[in-house]
Amino acid sequence: MNEKQLTILLADDDTDDCLFFKDALEGMAISTEFTTVHNGEQLMELLNYETNKLPHVLFLDLNMPRKNGFECLAEIKQNKKLKGIPVVIFSTSYEQEVVNLLYRNGAQYFIRKPSEFGQFKKIILYVLTIVAQQNMLRTTKSDFVLTAESNLVM
Amino acid sequence: MSNTLADDELSVANKELVFQNEEKEKRAAELSIANKELIFQNEEKEKRAAELIIANTELIFQNKEKEKRAAELIIANRELAFQNKEKEKRAAELIIANRELAFQNEEKEKRAAELIIANKELAFQNEEKEKRAAELIIANKELAFQNEEKEKRAAELIIANKELLAFTYISSHDLQEPLRKIQTFVTIILENENANLSDKGKYNFHRMQLAAQRMQQLIDDLLAFSRINTTDHQFEKTELSIVIEEVKNELRDTIREKKATIEATEVCPVNIIPFQFRQLMYNLISNALKFSDPGSPSHIIIQSVVVKGSELASQYFSPEKNYCHISVKDNGIGFEPHFNERIFGVFQKLHSKEVYAGTGIGLAIVKKIVENHKGRIVATGELNKGARFDIYIPANLG
Repeated sequence: MNEKQLTILLADDDTDDCLFFKDALEGMAISTEFTTVHNGEQLMELLNYETNKLPHVLFLDLNMPRKNGFECLAEIKQNKKLKGIPVVIFSTSYEQEVVNLLYRNGAQYFIRKPSEFGQFKKIILYVLTIVAQQNMLRTTKSDFVLTAESNLVM
Repeated sequence: MSNTLADDELSVANKELVFQNEEKEKRAAELSIANKELIFQNEEKEKRAAELIIANTELIFQNKEKEKRAAELIIANRELAFQNKEKEKRAAELIIANRELAFQNEEKEKRAAELIIANKELAFQNEEKEKRAAELIIANKELAFQNEEKEKRAAELIIANKELLAFTYISSHDLQEPLRKIQTFVTIILENENANLSDKGKYNFHRMQLAAQRMQQLIDDLLAFSRINTTDHQFEKTELSIVIEEVKNELRDTIREKKATIEATEVCPVNIIPFQFRQLMYNLISNALKFSDPGSPSHIIIQSVVVKGSELASQYFSPEKNYCHISVKDNGIGFEPHFNERIFGVFQKLHSKEVYAGTGIGLAIVKKIVENHKGRIVATGELNKGARFDIYIPANLG
């Protein structure tokens, strides 16, 4: 694992999900700096004003007030300074058409939030490990979706 | 004297000669004039000769033309003679026909008299019919009004139906989130507070987990059910064997566990919405596996064949159309025959969830998919003697 501190940004309006994420990170042997924003507008403001300190990875919820995850993803991928940030979609529901659209729009992974906490931690750890290895090649369509059923090989 | 005489004679002779000479000059002058006249006349004659040559040529040409016309006239004459004969024949025929017509005329007059009587009768009937027509117009207006009312209601129903589908979809969608959180909190408590919980407490949390899992299954199935109506309906000619292979691959663990054999030998290409039909085959095959007889290995037979509507002898099929008949038959626990309609209802189950897990949506989805294919599904079963599902979909759509 990389010695460098991993900066993680989570954009999710749901307090419980932010808490789950924080709890999951605390139990991991990775040094992380964790920031949360609670809507799309806050997210874009933060990214646009702190361009010198961009996160290593962004976890993005889809249903957020004021500006949703789809709009944020589109803005990030159209912005020269921001488009390099790996965007991991974080969603409760799973719709094939939505997943296809997000893949086309340049998201790195699609995580269907697992209901079991153990699996929740496992998926986050899997993504963070790949980010830490700085091995963020474009994922193939078949590896794009991560769910409780995914076979995660680290 | 003689000399003088001679001189006199000479003088006379001379005078005579002079006179003659003058006469000759006069004649010469006259001849010259006459000559010029002759030259002029000659020229005139030459001109006329040239004109005559031209006129001659013209006459020769006209002559030839007249000969041609004469020949044509001969032909025309013959034709006229022939036509004349024909006309005579026709005249003879017309005389005969005329007689016939005269006879028919008499007949017609007789009939006309009869028709006048019949006409009066019809006029009377007509009046009666007009009265009835007036009555019918009123009845018709009433029907048109009723029809409009029905159309309005149908339109309202379509809207209500769409709203209901949207409601099902959105509610199931939004219900997922709080449910997932309950499950996550339970797993956190079981993991972190394990030492602080009594055995009873742990047991209750496990029951809570099971209830939540069941609700998640219900929501997932409900979503699948409503998705069948909302996703696009793109028909494609598809090999049924490929669809079955994909489903078998997806279910391979269960197939191995149940020691099941799936026979799909006689299958034909079908015109289907591939995504939906895969779901249909999945639901039918997984049902057959789930409700297999615990005492003997599961055996599932899938067949498909194209049949003419007239062979099916049912009001639901047009006799001239071709239908694809797909059957899925198993040797499982079956069901009582009178449940053959009920099993297709939403949330309808024949067994408690402790014995056979499930939400009772699988066959409702199957039926909906068959209906999306403008087809029919029939279930036949007998308790402990297996179940059979017969699907009929039009072989050629659109």
